[in-house]
Amino acid sequence: MTGYLLRRVGQSLVVLAGVSVLVFSLVHLVRGDPVRLALGTRFSQETYDALRARNGLDLPLVEQFFNWAGRAVTGDLGVSFRSGEPVTALIAERLPATLTLAFAAILLALLIAVPLGTISALRPRSVVDRIATVISQIGISVPDFWLAIVLILVFAGTLGWLPSGGYVPLTDDPLGWAQRLILPAVTTGVVSGSVITRFVRSSVLEALGSDHVRTAQAKGLPQRQVFTWHVLRNALLPLVTVTGVQLAYLLSGVVVVEIVFSWPGLGQLALQAVRARDYPVLQGAVLLFALVFLVINLLVDLLYTRIDPRIRR
Amino acid sequence: MRASRPLALAAAGALLLTACGGGGESVDTGGSGGGGDGDSVLIAAVSAQPDQLDPHVTSAYASFQVLENVYDTLVVPNAEDLTFEASLAEEWEVSDDNLTWTFALRDGVTFHDGSEFDSADVVYSYNRIIDEELSNAYRFANVESVEAPDDRTVVINLSQPTPNLLERIGAFKGMSIVSENAAEEFDLTTEANGTGPFRLESTDATSTELSAFEDYWDGAPAISGVEFRYITEPAAALTALRNGEVHWTDNVPPQQIESLGEGGEVELETTASVDYWYMSMNYAVPPFDNPQVRRAIATAVDRDEVAEAARFGAARANQTAIPEDSFFYYDYAPFETDPDAARQLLEEAGVTTPLTMGLMVTDELPESVTSAQVIASQLEPIGINVEVEVLDFATWLDRQSQGQFDAFLLSWLGNIDPAAFYESQHITDGANNYQGYSNPEVDALLQEASTTVDEEERKELYDQAAKLIVDDVSYLYLFNPDVVQAWVPGLEGYQIRADRAINFEDVELP
Repeated sequence: MTGYLLRRVGQSLVVLAGVSVLVFSLVHLVRGDPVRLALGTRFSQETYDALRARNGLDLPLVEQFFNWAGRAVTGDLGVSFRSGEPVTALIAERLPATLTLAFAAILLALLIAVPLGTISALRPRSVVDRIATVISQIGISVPDFWLAIVLILVFAGTLGWLPSGGYVPLTDDPLGWAQRLILPAVTTGVVSGSVITRFVRSSVLEALGSDHVRTAQAKGLPQRQVFTWHVLRNALLPLVTVTGVQLAYLLSGVVVVEIVFSWPGLGQLALQAVRARDYPVLQGAVLLFALVFLVINLLVDLLYTRIDPRIRR
Repeated sequence: MRASRPLALAAAGALLLTACGGGGESVDTGGSGGGGDGDSVLIAAVSAQPDQLDPHVTSAYASFQVLENVYDTLVVPNAEDLTFEASLAEEWEVSDDNLTWTFALRDGVTFHDGSEFDSADVVYSYNRIIDEELSNAYRFANVESVEAPDDRTVVINLSQPTPNLLERIGAFKGMSIVSENAAEEFDLTTEANGTGPFRLESTDATSTELSAFEDYWDGAPAISGVEFRYITEPAAALTALRNGEVHWTDNVPPQQIESLGEGGEVELETTASVDYWYMSMNYAVPPFDNPQVRRAIATAVDRDEVAEAARFGAARANQTAIPEDSFFYYDYAPFETDPDAARQLLEEAGVTTPLTMGLMVTDELPESVTSAQVIASQLEPIGINVEVEVLDFATWLDRQSQGQFDAFLLSWLGNIDPAAFYESQHITDGANNYQGYSNPEVDALLQEASTTVDEEERKELYDQAAKLIVDDVSYLYLFNPDVVQAWVPGLEGYQIRADRAINFEDVELP
């Protein structure tokens, strides 16, 4: 077990190193000059050169990479070209909002998906199943920005029940926090929930048809017991993976939803950084996203070895 | 169900953690967070977060929206006609040779930290911009030195007469007066020490908050503060305004103007701006180096149609840069939309059609995309096949600076003096002359105009230059857009301005 753990952590570190090289190169390969963007329309050549030198952009790219990577290892991701603030501070400022939204959305998604998917699978082609299929189909196909705007127009505009967007920390104003969380969480939760619903349905169906379930039924075990011990348990195992992937996806910032709801998360930060070609912020954000993916994957794998002993090798 | 329990627990744990973490970060959202009664904080929905709040460093409009209320300049454009009037300087005089400007400073002005404003603050602010080669340094190109003979006097010495000096030091808050050594004493990217009507309280990823400055030299504001809330999506901003979540917004899509004005639930105002939209062709790419070809294109374009499509009528078609309301407006419109005449011009120029022209626009400004599409449809009948290239702004700027374009379309914002409208764009080797225009006559006229003190004479020179620029089609001018802003009914004392400066000093909440 320890060997497996070490091997997986080692793999993750190698991937992270590879990702950082890739991130750095890609970010710098994209056209667009951050200095020009920062200076606006009118400026002199001296001003331009001064700002370029101040940000170390006049150095060869390889040197820039090692400067950045060297500092990144110590947790220093540099300062933003745009605002001059440390990248780690900018990310830390945005992290609570993104975590809140991602966990609320995934919770909502599971609350919808697990019961709905299970019922659908138990009664295939029933009315419930058909309705569930249609709803999840809509959830997957509807663009999130459209859904977000419709929700704003209905719940904030016409009905006036909820604020149209924004964010306040829970400790400042619990009611305001909850009110502002609902619409963005529903928007993101519906998409994730739809994906997970379909997944739950098919894996419960698969488990229902498997040999050991038929054996259990043949032995005359009560339906309820067969269902809980033999169907659900096996069907929900892979759910850990899907949920993990969805969570990682949500944590990397649902950009569109964050923009529409003025939700000050990492997705918004990353988009601003792309627009401004703010290399340090962009590199920092992408590196964090990679890290989140790796850590969640690692946790999922470890969790799996706990639940399914066959993997523990 | 056993498998999902640890996950649910983890999720709940993380939520708690989040909550704690979030609380530690934020300092001051208390007053306005709940929208409670009693406090008179104006909430303004703006479309973007300021990149930073150092007035001398930033170039972002989102920053200046805030800084307008926090800092003062020596002189300031009047809201009605944008002529310059006293602010931190009470009066000024120009020497006979026009090379020395002497400013008498206002008495009894204090900075937000309580220190007194004097000439040393002005000298420090201006020298900071000049010495550190900040982005506004070009405004001091003619300045030899800035001196403070006594506490209440500032002298600016020039290398050549500069009739637009007031515009250079007062047109916008990029030329703000900060307190002496402010850059050492404060972190100006997130803090401020100005003399303006509002004091900067806090800025974060959701909003920037200002509070009224009781000791403001022009009297304390009627409201207790301003909260700038960033709402990118116009539909959300308008919903927030209708709901009463915010009091004011400039994030109004042009297509909403008509429907918004009707209901009476929102007050909407528009005014002609000093901005202009234009198209420019690359002089290094044949056949666009041929003035005849450029004129053919200028003849084929229907500016009214472009303005209507791009701005839903909230714009005035124009064939020169300077808008109608300005003293420097030049009534000159040689191009009458006529596809047949355009086709004939092309023929005479010996150009074989169909001809392909790339037209570079940016998704940052949706109006530029619409304008380009309309122009494409107008040029098609004369045999020019326009390929609209939609780029993000960083790439757009990159290609512009490297001359990799047939033509591009963009706007210039916030110009007041004619020098700003014409000089860097059309003078040979001008910093923004990306199209590669060079006309010795224009150079001479612009050069002379920049040092001519008499206003009438100066206008005459700019008119002549503008005529050549329009005839040569250095820029193909399209329209001057309107400023569009909306607020809750009953909001008093707010004045919409042609230069888009947003000033909440005299505002009273309903």
